[in-house]
Amino acid sequence: MSLLSVENLAIHFGGIKAVDQVSFAVEAGEVFTIIGPNGAGKTTIFNLISRIYDPTEGRLIFDGVDFTTMPAHRIAGLGIARTFQNIELFEHATVLQNLLVGRQPHARVNLLSEILFLPSVRRAEIAHREKVEEIIDLLDLQAYREQMIANLPYGVRKVVEMARALCTEPKLLLLDEPSSGLNVEETQDMSYWIEDIKRRLGVTVLMVEHDMGLVSSVSDRVLALNYGRVLAQGSPEEVQRNPDVIKAYLGGEE
Amino acid sequence: MRFVFKTSYEQDINLFRHGGDRFWYGLLLLALAAAPLLLDTFYLGELSFILIYAIAATGLMLLVGYTGLVSLGHAAFLGIGAYANAYFISQGMPFLVSFPLAGLITAAAGLLIGVPTLRMSGIYLAIATLAFAYIVEQVFIRWESVTGGFRGLPVDAPDIFGYQLWERWEFYYLCLVVLVAVILGVANLLRSPTGRAFVAIRDSEISAQSMGINLARYKAMAFALSAFITGLAGALYGHHISYLAPDAFDIRLSIILLLMVVVGGVGSLHGAVYGAIFAGALPQVIAILRDYLPPAISQTPGLEPALFGVILVFFILFEPFGIYGRWLKIKLYFQMFPLYKKATFKRQKSYLKTERLR
Ligand SMILES: Nc1ncnc2c1ncn2[C@@H]1O[C@H](COP(=O)(O)OP(=O)(O)OP(=O)(O)O)[C@@H](O)[C@H]1O
Ligand SMILES: [Mg+2]
Repeated sequence: MSLLSVENLAIHFGGIKAVDQVSFAVEAGEVFTIIGPNGAGKTTIFNLISRIYDPTEGRLIFDGVDFTTMPAHRIAGLGIARTFQNIELFEHATVLQNLLVGRQPHARVNLLSEILFLPSVRRAEIAHREKVEEIIDLLDLQAYREQMIANLPYGVRKVVEMARALCTEPKLLLLDEPSSGLNVEETQDMSYWIEDIKRRLGVTVLMVEHDMGLVSSVSDRVLALNYGRVLAQGSPEEVQRNPDVIKAYLGGEE
Repeated sequence: MRFVFKTSYEQDINLFRHGGDRFWYGLLLLALAAAPLLLDTFYLGELSFILIYAIAATGLMLLVGYTGLVSLGHAAFLGIGAYANAYFISQGMPFLVSFPLAGLITAAAGLLIGVPTLRMSGIYLAIATLAFAYIVEQVFIRWESVTGGFRGLPVDAPDIFGYQLWERWEFYYLCLVVLVAVILGVANLLRSPTGRAFVAIRDSEISAQSMGINLARYKAMAFALSAFITGLAGALYGHHISYLAPDAFDIRLSIILLLMVVVGGVGSLHGAVYGAIFAGALPQVIAILRDYLPPAISQTPGLEPALFGVILVFFILFEPFGIYGRWLKIKLYFQMFPLYKKATFKRQKSYLKTERLR
């Protein structure tokens, strides 16, 4: 059984078929990448999986659970975490506070004991902190722990956002263009992080990416999308050689 | 400059970062406890008033400053707390029961406005809360059997286990105890998952949601908690003014409450207290200034609300982080002297939000 199955997924915005009958399956332990020209519908697929959008058609199944109609705030608890193409961090909070929000799916909330800050709350806070520190160590964020997001450079924010997603202890991590806006060096680092996330944490990765170097170096399988439809699927080399894919890229970009 | 060496996670969790903090807060509390010895009855009354304002501002700060939801109707919550408490006391209920009950009833009213407006934000929410406050004011006027309508409702002095707090200094201590308890409770909440969920909603609803935060639930909770605290402040406010009339809780009071949050500094508890001091002391300052101004200006009716409005606009434009934000900058300036960089607090615009969700 696949970790994530997307079956005949479709969404229409007015007349636009942003995603049209898309099916694919992500296997546990792999890095699965979606590529495609601008406006192909890649981010929309992520928003459908995060349940921000309601699909017009199709089914979503994760780990045997049909979550097609599940409310968006329960997706993290299911084991799916994500980053955003344009970075959606909590700007007026520190890196540490951002990462602690990532512990939310694991927090037992009891208002009264929080107001009194009972020892049970303190113990839970320390346990969350320990988990957060593991992720900080994994992604080398020690130097930024106490800094406000608003003061961080773009590249660091990207890593922080990934770290926050990892703090939810996901089984599946969705990365929307992890290398966009990064320089060559930072992109290289990003490919190491993704390898680490896969190897050391055993997290399955589903990503959207434009940088073909990064795509071929980390992906196990690639799916190419154009105008909301699947063009090709297979190993990075197969997809890159596919004539339809080449045509879409030549036609789509000047 | 002071460096804090961290040796355990406890240090980040604790309310006070280091011994210095504990010392200064302790000193402040001591000074406040000694105030009745030093101040005459009039100024003690004014100080109690500031404490009550600070409680209300803390309640509103939770909603506006931490959850990012605006309210132009908090005077209504203050009123509901005041009337509920006064009514229960007039029915012979002891203060120790009527006071928390008034808070709970106000919290229920908070849910009443919070739940239908869950999907609103910004100007729409401001208008909805304003309308709510107007309706509540009408209820105060019309529901004469409980509120006394325009005749008003006298408020008896609070009693604690049969002992009535008639003296100004006794009431002052009551306000101080409630304020300290409220601030501690809110500070605790803010270092717990619930407080972090509020801040997350304020900064990015979409990613809060994808981190497992149920927006509807936490927004409703923020409204209820904010109303609860404001209701408690209202109950004390009622005792302070000792006679309730519906027009005491109109839009002007809502604006003053919002002013406290904005002027003090959005997103900080210090800010709530600074804002309360500011709003509590301003009328006194204006009264003193009146003697020096030409009569054409000083006799103008509505000088005070106009000045409040001007100050609100000034802060929104030039000092969005309020008095507390300014204080942090001054403090850093002296700590870093002569190395202070002007750009330290400039927000980096290193990326563009070209295409935001929704
Ligand atoms: N909420 C929405 N309402 C209307 N149209 C939308 C909405 N979201 C996406 N679209 C449209 O759906 C199409 C796919 O957009 P999407 O953001 O998924 O593209 P993408 O593949 O992520 O592109 P990029 O590489 O530029 O990020 C676009 O034509 C876009 O305008
Ligand atoms: Mg996209």
